[in-house]
Amino acid sequence: MDMKDLNELRSDFESLQKRVQSAQCNDGCRADDESYEEYPDYLAAIYTEIMPPLKSGIYFSRWDLKAMAEELDESFALDVRERMFKRFMQWVSSPEDMQLVIGEFKKNIDMKCNLYREYSEKYPATKASFDSKIKKAEAAKRYLDRVYEEFFT
Amino acid sequence: MYKTIKRYKDIMQEAILNEALSRLNIYALISRVLMNEVDEELLKLIEEDKNILAFFPNFQKWERRQSMERKDLIEKYLNVDFTNLFLLHLVPYESFYMREDQMMETGGENPVQQLYNEFDFRVELDTARVMAGDHIGVELEFMFKLCEAEYKALQDGALDVAKQIADIEYDFLKEHLVEWAPMFLLNVKSEAGTPFYFDAADLALEFILSDFESLTQRKKEEF
Repeated sequence: MDMKDLNELRSDFESLQKRVQSAQCNDGCRADDESYEEYPDYLAAIYTEIMPPLKSGIYFSRWDLKAMAEELDESFALDVRERMFKRFMQWVSSPEDMQLVIGEFKKNIDMKCNLYREYSEKYPATKASFDSKIKKAEAAKRYLDRVYEEFFT
Repeated sequence: MYKTIKRYKDIMQEAILNEALSRLNIYALISRVLMNEVDEELLKLIEEDKNILAFFPNFQKWERRQSMERKDLIEKYLNVDFTNLFLLHLVPYESFYMREDQMMETGGENPVQQLYNEFDFRVELDTARVMAGDHIGVELEFMFKLCEAEYKALQDGALDVAKQIADIEYDFLKEHLVEWAPMFLLNVKSEAGTPFYFDAADLALEFILSDFESLTQRKKEEF
């Protein structure tokens, strides 16, 4: 086998992988962690990739944001969700703060994923729907780490 | 022998009809409770029917329910909670959960509205006091209407029609309510300020999921 054959074989394999991933991810989930867009700041990145329930599989409500902030001894009034999110993010003034914020997001995600698992065990017909949300939520957690790496290190 | 078989068939048919009637009643109840504030008439109905009250176990034991007049309970607690949960702080509309931009689709482009149009299901937004047809209360009312049509078909012995309607119910739950309502209702449960709305969210969530389980099973068994 010469180098040309090997390259063709690799190319075939890569396109096969892409086809498999695309077939597996027709429910809004990420084919891989590289498919995220570039964002000018961590605020835009998290608001666009984590806050939409369709993307992360999790609904972060105003009360969730308030409760997460309170865990970090920060308090703000209930307000428009986007404004509350911005206020929470503006609290971050160091990489350590960001780690704490990410920790709170992950705790909320884990708590909800545990509930998803309970319901999908109780009602097996719903497993595909809950599994899809859990998969998105796990990708969201990885993305939060990536945001930290990208903007805080 | 013939009489025994007929009797058995009658009992089965009665059981199927009873189950269908229960389903449509529960959809009517949760649709009404999640769509608008409760009024005295509805609260009286819930409190005076043991079967319905059993769906609200925490509300049943709530000390304020026993010590306050219905009117006061509604005005001081239940309406305040409803406003917080359904009008101010949580989003009871499907499009918010199904769109990447987290926006609500209030126009004719709303896919749920388009589906309603196909089935000639008219939503009077002003009367319902909702902003779009993909409000959880309206989607549950759509399920109620489907269950009602299925019940009538079963009463008439039109099993093929009943099966077709059950297929539509299955698809609507799968594509819509099962996909997004748990995200909303889990937050209602954790953020409810009264046992009434905690129980209402729990009832709606468990019922949507168990009804989908049951319809899935029926589909497997070919109805």
